[in-house]
Amino acid sequence: MAAAVVVATGFGLGYYAQALSHLGDTASANSRLSYEDREIGGGNSIVVDQEAAYEARGLIPPSARYRVVTGGRLRNATSLTGSFVDGWYRSFLIPRRRSPTASWVICYGCDIGALGGAYTVRWQDANGISIGEVR
Amino acid sequence: MSWRAILGVVALNAWFLVVGVGVLFALRGWRSWGELARLCGLAYMLGIAATAVVLVWALVLTVPFSVATVIGAGALVALVAALAGGRTGRRLPSRPRPRVPGWSLVATVSAALVVVYCEAQFRAGRLASLTEFDGWFFWVAKARAIFSFGDLDPQFFRELPHHGYPPLVPTLEAAAMRFMGSADVVTLHLQFWFLLVGFVAALVGLLAPRVRPLFLWPPLLLVLVTPRVSGYALQAQADFLLEELLAVAALLIGLWLVDRSDWQLVAAGIVLAAAMLSKREGALFGACVVLAGLGATWRQRRTAWPRLVGVGVAAAAATLPWWILLHVRGLGAETPEAGGIGLFSHLDLAWPSLKLTFSTLFDYHQWLLVVPVAALAIAGAFVAGARRLPSYALLLFVFGAAALTYTTWAFPSIPITKAPVNPIIRLTGWLVLVTPAVIPLVLNEGWDAE
Repeated sequence: MAAAVVVATGFGLGYYAQALSHLGDTASANSRLSYEDREIGGGNSIVVDQEAAYEARGLIPPSARYRVVTGGRLRNATSLTGSFVDGWYRSFLIPRRRSPTASWVICYGCDIGALGGAYTVRWQDANGISIGEVR
Repeated sequence: MSWRAILGVVALNAWFLVVGVGVLFALRGWRSWGELARLCGLAYMLGIAATAVVLVWALVLTVPFSVATVIGAGALVALVAALAGGRTGRRLPSRPRPRVPGWSLVATVSAALVVVYCEAQFRAGRLASLTEFDGWFFWVAKARAIFSFGDLDPQFFRELPHHGYPPLVPTLEAAAMRFMGSADVVTLHLQFWFLLVGFVAALVGLLAPRVRPLFLWPPLLLVLVTPRVSGYALQAQADFLLEELLAVAALLIGLWLVDRSDWQLVAAGIVLAAAMLSKREGALFGACVVLAGLGATWRQRRTAWPRLVGVGVAAAAATLPWWILLHVRGLGAETPEAGGIGLFSHLDLAWPSLKLTFSTLFDYHQWLLVVPVAALAIAGAFVAGARRLPSYALLLFVFGAAALTYTTWAFPSIPITKAPVNPIIRLTGWLVLVTPAVIPLVLNEGWDAE
């Protein structure tokens, strides 16, 4: 029992400074992030362009439906973009609902001709991401 | 990320504390105001557990979710508690008399270290971004949906991953968002800071008058400084809340083994109910806590077992409304791929799963020497002649390790690895957090037996 107390005390005190140092480093790193970096969080390794996320939130009305369409024309995509961009927007854009037939489209290098109508672009960037409406 | 958001989280957690004080009054009362101050951590954990369970029931019953609902749910809990306390003739003590607590040097220095540690956790969590995968992928997404729609929106809860996971954590996060005034996923981490502080305060408050400071503080400090706890305790997902609740429940049942005060079992039942509504594994690990209690009371089974089984059944019953809702909506409960007899079709996974459990529990880079310290303490207490609490702790670890093995074995599609695709590292945290809750009691009993 004494051994348990000695080991716990020794390692607890020994790692205490390291834990505080780690927490201090984390606090410093977090404070250096921009507002957008913090809010987008895990999405930073997915969305390619933070502005696309904010434009989507600004352009698509809260009561509207939208769809995320991906394709091969996207530039600077990460290995996670194709698999997770839809899921990330689903969380970020709540209360907007997803629908496969929605008129609002978040296009990630998608084939615009396959969207099913005339596509009016409201915002786009150089990576091949655009946000618009299909009529 | 504003002061308003921070004040909102503070207000919510102050409310949980107020509700919990009401529950504590009903369960046991307090002989002095100093005793109440000491038990504030337990009161907070009881308040958050009871209020969150009622909020989940309210969501299942489609009661619109708002600040008023959170306050109403807490008020309902406090009212029922006050009535129950009044019926048992409980009275408040006379006016508080200021008194300087007589803390030992070990306790004073250790408490100061823990306070500084908690302050460092606060700074780290204050501006943390939501990077944890499960956090943004479904835990916080569910919370956002509850916050935005005021209910368990059928479309979102069908489409979001893991619709079968119990919703206590998203409910709690949505309550924090309501009090913050926005879905502020950065300040949300402070809610988990309050949970960590409440957990630590509950352990210290319950154990300080019963065990020697050298048995209480070192295991607690050791767990707090592990890379896993110091790096991940404030993540906006369910793991640490589940583990904190389970550890408090394990402690309350451990205390009951010594005291046999019924209030300890009722409190354990409340906390276990919240644990079982936090994650699917909550039912499995909660059963381990109850089973360990049953094993430790083998000789008194006639009197002890009905009570312990009652705790487990009552806690499980609290989750029924959620499972009924899933059934009504035609959604599966996401049971293990190879649960039940399906395990026998994957016997080849049993040994690798067990090895993974042990290699994770003893993983120095995650948990330092927490589990070896627990093993040393249990062995030492047995050698010293203690039986009751070392047996309980041993059974907790044995059943806990078996349950952890099951979580890998029953999901053949998940690779047997410590990589994040397998949740084993997160799940082993429950036995690690049980250590500072139960091991101080074991050490104390062993010392007394010697």
